[in-house]
Amino acid sequence: MRRRAFLKQTAGSAVVATLALRAPAVLGQAKPFAGVTIHGASFQHVFHSYLKEYIPEFEEKTGMKVDFTTQAFPVYNQRADLELSTKGSAWDFLNVTFIYSGRWIGAGWMTPLDEFTSDRNQTPPEFDAKDFVAGAQSSLQDAKGATYGFAWEAGAMITGAARGDLIEKAGLKMPATFEQLVQVCEATNGKDGVAAFVADKLHHWNWIPYLMGFGGRVFKDPPDNLTPVLDTPQAAQAAEYYANLLVKYGPPGLLSYTDDQAMRAQLSGRANIRTQAIGWMTPLAKHEESKVKSTTRYELMPGGPAGQFPGSNSHGFGIPLGAKNKKAAWAFITWAMSKETLRRVSLEKGYAAVCRRSIIDDPAYRKAMTFNGQDLAALYLKVLELGGKSGYMKYRTVPVFPQVGDKINKAMERIATRQQNARDAMKQAQAEAVEELKRGGIKLDA
Amino acid sequence: MSRRARGERAAVHIAVILLVIVVLAPFLWLLQMSVKTQEEIFAFPPKLLFAPTFENYRALWDSTFRRSFANSAAVSVTSTALAMLLGVPGAYALSRARFRSAGQLSLWVLASRMAPPIAFTIPYFLVYRHLGLLDTRTGLVVIYLTFNLSLVVWLMRSFFDATPRLLEEAAWIDGAGLRQAFLRIVLPLAAPGLAATAILCFLYAWNDFFFALILTRTEAMTAPVAVVNFMNYEGWEWGKIAAGGTLVMLPVLVFSFLVRNFLVRGLTSGALKG
Amino acid sequence: MSAIASAGRARARAAGPGGAALERRFHWWCLVPTLAVLGVVTLLPTLYLLATSLTPLNLTQPATQWNFSRPLRNYAFLLSDGRLHGSLWVQLKLSFWTVSLQLLLGFAVALMLNLRSRTLEALRTVFLIPMVLPPIVVAIIWKVLYTPDISPVHWATAALGWPLPTLITHPSYALGAIIVADIWEWFPFTMLMILAGLQVLPEEQVDAARIDGAGPWQLTVHVVLPFLRGVLLVAGLFRLIDSIKAFPLIFILTDGGPGTVTEVTNYYSYIQAFNFSQLGYSSAITVILVALTVVVSALIVRAVGWGHSGE
Repeated sequence: MRRRAFLKQTAGSAVVATLALRAPAVLGQAKPFAGVTIHGASFQHVFHSYLKEYIPEFEEKTGMKVDFTTQAFPVYNQRADLELSTKGSAWDFLNVTFIYSGRWIGAGWMTPLDEFTSDRNQTPPEFDAKDFVAGAQSSLQDAKGATYGFAWEAGAMITGAARGDLIEKAGLKMPATFEQLVQVCEATNGKDGVAAFVADKLHHWNWIPYLMGFGGRVFKDPPDNLTPVLDTPQAAQAAEYYANLLVKYGPPGLLSYTDDQAMRAQLSGRANIRTQAIGWMTPLAKHEESKVKSTTRYELMPGGPAGQFPGSNSHGFGIPLGAKNKKAAWAFITWAMSKETLRRVSLEKGYAAVCRRSIIDDPAYRKAMTFNGQDLAALYLKVLELGGKSGYMKYRTVPVFPQVGDKINKAMERIATRQQNARDAMKQAQAEAVEELKRGGIKLDA
Repeated sequence: MSRRARGERAAVHIAVILLVIVVLAPFLWLLQMSVKTQEEIFAFPPKLLFAPTFENYRALWDSTFRRSFANSAAVSVTSTALAMLLGVPGAYALSRARFRSAGQLSLWVLASRMAPPIAFTIPYFLVYRHLGLLDTRTGLVVIYLTFNLSLVVWLMRSFFDATPRLLEEAAWIDGAGLRQAFLRIVLPLAAPGLAATAILCFLYAWNDFFFALILTRTEAMTAPVAVVNFMNYEGWEWGKIAAGGTLVMLPVLVFSFLVRNFLVRGLTSGALKG
Repeated sequence: MSAIASAGRARARAAGPGGAALERRFHWWCLVPTLAVLGVVTLLPTLYLLATSLTPLNLTQPATQWNFSRPLRNYAFLLSDGRLHGSLWVQLKLSFWTVSLQLLLGFAVALMLNLRSRTLEALRTVFLIPMVLPPIVVAIIWKVLYTPDISPVHWATAALGWPLPTLITHPSYALGAIIVADIWEWFPFTMLMILAGLQVLPEEQVDAARIDGAGPWQLTVHVVLPFLRGVLLVAGLFRLIDSIKAFPLIFILTDGGPGTVTEVTNYYSYIQAFNFSQLGYSSAITVILVALTVVVSALIVRAVGWGHSGE
């Protein structure tokens, strides 16, 4: 019946393409999307580098051309935000960034995907939309539970040390508390020409676990009470602590580092410890250009006096409302997010942050995620669990977070460059955030 | 020439040559980076003798980048032609006729150049949303008129001012009509000015970054934006960035060199006419 | 040439074929397309910008588009926006240093190049390069020079024992780094203009002053500079206007940071418009910026005096 359905294709309708992908017997017949080009974009991430290697196979099977560009995180977000606000058709699929998901989905700029998933002709049953981990999917749904994207990364923050051997040589273990982290940095900084700590400049993602570990928060009670609380003593303490890490133990030029630059600093052995999402950590042990494969160590992020709050987020592929080639885009998404493709990416490339339960539970995955005897899959699951428990990540998906996050970034830059002390910088960030939110019409506590 | 004068001359020459080296050095550094491998770029001390590689150029010359070059060329040429067509007759009229408000007009032209690009980008962005002109070459050509047209009027007016009316009058006496005199006598005389103006228009259009950054996405993306887009893709592969930058500046450099005298004239005529 | 032109105009103007009225009509036909297009392309958008500045336009809330209920709200916010005030101060610093140093350096180099020499005339072309390069490429060049990992400057200073900090992430030096890059890019512009001016400086004036016993310093101050006043004004004014538009250098080198030390008003407006989608507020900032530019330019022109017979 599938084959008959396939043969019934009409000139403009490429609906059945997805079925063609699942039925290898039809290879050699007319390609369903011949002549169609789709454009897509995301921010630059190792997952996309891996995915791109498989895209030629997809293009071969479907006749579709996929023009997939990636840009740096802030640049991509800005351009995507602008594009979506115009309901434009420049992109057929794009990445729904975690911090913008509330905004983009809430403003109605994304195409609801449930009608695609429930359409047997466009979505093969093996796609199994329910296989995606609920925690990762939650940011890609609206308040009523309609789905607008499928997650390709659950960013679970862990500690990755490129030169774990230096830590061992100093007689210490991977840090479990903030105090121990400073101890380790102090003991290993500069040894072998290696900077003890490295981070990218997205402070409003990297720093928040430290903020929460010291007992601080971003908003009073998101998503209902969006009053910023950045001027608490805990926030100042956390900011001072983190800025110290950057200044005392970071490589030169650290404050301008993008994600990729920070990772390459670790890959080449110029920097040691980083606390970031797992997707940026596994290349240390697996990437062909990595010089630190054998000395990499992983551990849960350290916690502070108030507890452990490793960051977790999720990014997914979605279809903009104004896209021209929605069916082709959906065909691409079902291929890219299929069990088969994701399995290949995680097992062949060592990509840990997949969001499909079936893969996470798979023993082969566990084995592939064991580096130097360390069980990364267990770490990954632990962090996802922690995040889901008290919902401490809710601050990130409120639509106004990008503006507030920008104030946090700037404040951290000022502290790290000694323009202001931590108290004053956070006070300023608080004042600016309050003003910004008021300008946007958000109701705040007095 | 006295000894002292000769000594001074030599000193000036040496100083200028040193200055030339300082001015060229950053530019040349980028060029040499574009033919090095990633490792060579990071190597310190930098190797003076190395085998240049064109791998960077090859790697970035894919279809997206090629298309952005075509876009830049099409948009620059079209907007220049349009601006010249619209602006040259107007500049002529401004020069020849005696309008009382001519001075105010010049001020308006100058004022329009005072606005930072964002002053035009916001309204154009909002309107293009509705007209569907976002990410189109036409959209770029139209917004480029905001700076090109006023540039043409400003520059060509001063060139026409410097062309004596005698010649047109002589042509009229010989029986030529108004339009013929303009086309056959005045324009050829103003040819250096036309060339200088056209080249400056092309330069400004090709070099534009902000308008293209905001108003284009994938279809109409121009070369300068493509380089930056590319810059963030592989996260700072310096060889490719250098190669991209070199390619973007190559047409401009070649063009400027070929018409360097006209270029200098175009830039300085504004100064002398005041 | 201008003498001939004005002489031509001073004579009784022989009307064109067909009479003065026909000539006037011809001129109108030449001018109308220019004015019409210029009007549509510049005037209408300006009005639209003004209108937008009176609304709280935010693209995530379509209802805000034509909401004129509280038109001066954005302007009121401007008064209390500390970040805006900071950006104006940064702009002031940037404009002051770049314009004055470009004029100074341009003047010095023009003096040197004013010698009659084939070599120097040939070398003049080289100076064109920085200013015809696409500004984004200039930004990339200087990004390379300011990145410690690959910069010959950092390598050289480190080898000599005076290691430089990373300038573009240092709050005290970031603006200076941008100023240096901007000067490299644009001093040829002022230099060429001043050189053109120097080359029409009448020899007699210089000789007369020399005969009166003027030394080189007095010559410069009392003869050359006054003569160049018009050129310096125009060059300075053009550079001032362009310095307010500064974007690629900041975009690539510092993104307005660290903190906001290199964030000029133009850049802040861009962030409000295209990062935060606050188009209404951004329009208000832009309107104020343009108004300030026009006012400052007019003041400067009046103060220094428009060099030649009034326009």
